[in-house]
Amino acid sequence: MLQEFIQQIVNGLVLGSTYTLIALGLTMIYGILGIVNWAHGELYMLGAFAGLYLAVVLKLPFIVALLGAMIILAVCGMLLERLVFRPLRQAPELNMIIGTLGISIFLMNTAIVLFSPNPLSFPTEYSNEYLSFLGIAITMQRLLVFFITVVLIALLNYLIKYTELGKAMRACEQNPDAARLMGIDINRISLVTCAIGAALAAAAGVLVGPIFLVSPQMGLLAIAKVFAVVILGGMGNVEGAIWSAFILGLAESLTAGFFSSDYKDIITFFILIAVLIFRPQGLFGNNVIEKV
Amino acid sequence: MLKLSNLAVHYGRIKALKGIDMEVAAGEIVTLIGANGAGKTTTLRAISGLVRPAGGTVEFEGRTVTGLDAREIVKSGISHCPEGRQIFPRMTVAENLELGAYTRKDKHNLDAEYQRVFEYFPILAERRRQLAGTLSGGEQQMLAIGRALMAKPKLLLLDEPSLGLAPFLVEKIFEIIRAINRQGVTIMLIEQNAYQALGIAHRGYVLETGSVVLSGPAHELRHNDHVRKAYLGE
Repeated sequence: MLQEFIQQIVNGLVLGSTYTLIALGLTMIYGILGIVNWAHGELYMLGAFAGLYLAVVLKLPFIVALLGAMIILAVCGMLLERLVFRPLRQAPELNMIIGTLGISIFLMNTAIVLFSPNPLSFPTEYSNEYLSFLGIAITMQRLLVFFITVVLIALLNYLIKYTELGKAMRACEQNPDAARLMGIDINRISLVTCAIGAALAAAAGVLVGPIFLVSPQMGLLAIAKVFAVVILGGMGNVEGAIWSAFILGLAESLTAGFFSSDYKDIITFFILIAVLIFRPQGLFGNNVIEKV
Repeated sequence: MLKLSNLAVHYGRIKALKGIDMEVAAGEIVTLIGANGAGKTTTLRAISGLVRPAGGTVEFEGRTVTGLDAREIVKSGISHCPEGRQIFPRMTVAENLELGAYTRKDKHNLDAEYQRVFEYFPILAERRRQLAGTLSGGEQQMLAIGRALMAKPKLLLLDEPSLGLAPFLVEKIFEIIRAINRQGVTIMLIEQNAYQALGIAHRGYVLETGSVVLSGPAHELRHNDHVRKAYLGE
């Protein structure tokens, strides 16, 4: 019983880490650019393929492949901002939704053509290493997911809270017009935000690709959950996204472990609907009332 | 110092400014008065680069700055303290002030500005670690002015700094505006409170539906029949 519980907690932390890394980019892009990026799951998917290529084909060490995939996707994120988001920024909301949805479909189908629709396995040097304690065995890969996520969250937190770039990002999120009056270059901040968001999604893809499988459709499956995470955390709220990612990850894995894995997706959307009814601003919605 | 020639701004099909001419000399306080929708705020937004003019020019210190990015305008020495305070609510008072100096190259040299801002508004020094959104309306206004001063502007654009403040605070804000001006900062002031504004300004412009209908020394405007009827409620 205890072993089962610990096992599910570990699984929950792995899921929560994945959701966190994807959700952070999604919520930051929404907060700063005001765009709901439906193609964010595809950035996660492309990140996984980039990591798979670097690690399996080029035989680079896993950590190097992880960093490489993050850099490649950061560039993709910047291209996406420049070619799609920036022209859409002044457009009506419907145009933005159609635009990013179009990119999502385009990227997924491009991946199907390039990599075939069949799932690929992504073995790494950590897949067959186990850490045993209290009678359970955990692969190093799972520990790595959680550990690297914590490191990335810490780095992001430092960036947002203490650096000049982070302060400018928060300013753009809280009041874009006033940010411009301070002399902040909103285009540059948007570009950096998309680069960071895409790199974090790529990290998620590379980290969990070896645990599950890598396929062109993986983004589609992840994004529904991640939207639940972002809404639960309060749209645009970075800290809220982190907490709700772990809440959902743990709820899902504990449901799967103690009831049935048939219910694990139901619990996520059950929580989401309950939150939307009783606390539509999200569990961690901003409570500071802006005075006019 | 600042010269607007035939400046026009359109929002879609609405002509918010229909080609206005204005001049502000160094060291002056110039006030814009007019009803809601007369084009006062639009004038300031066009100067600071938040809206792109449809026609005409803005010259600052002899250089044409029309249609430049807001960032370039701030760098050239114009700070805009916008209507409704527009502080960053989920950042601390200190962070708000720090962002005011965002374009400054001499970031290690901000002590003088902090000192000056805290001298004008001692309450901000007390609350420097507090989130700006939790300040009272008057304190937020002080923060907005202080933040604009952090850029060390030559020209300060103030949009309705006394809006919604208690009468004793209005007095205080006007006193401080005068003090800022005495320290050599040129000021362009929009005010609902035309009486007070004409009291501290050197000159004024009266805007009506996007055009300048009257201009002159503040004391003359104060005794002008039209101004007295329409804006001073006499």
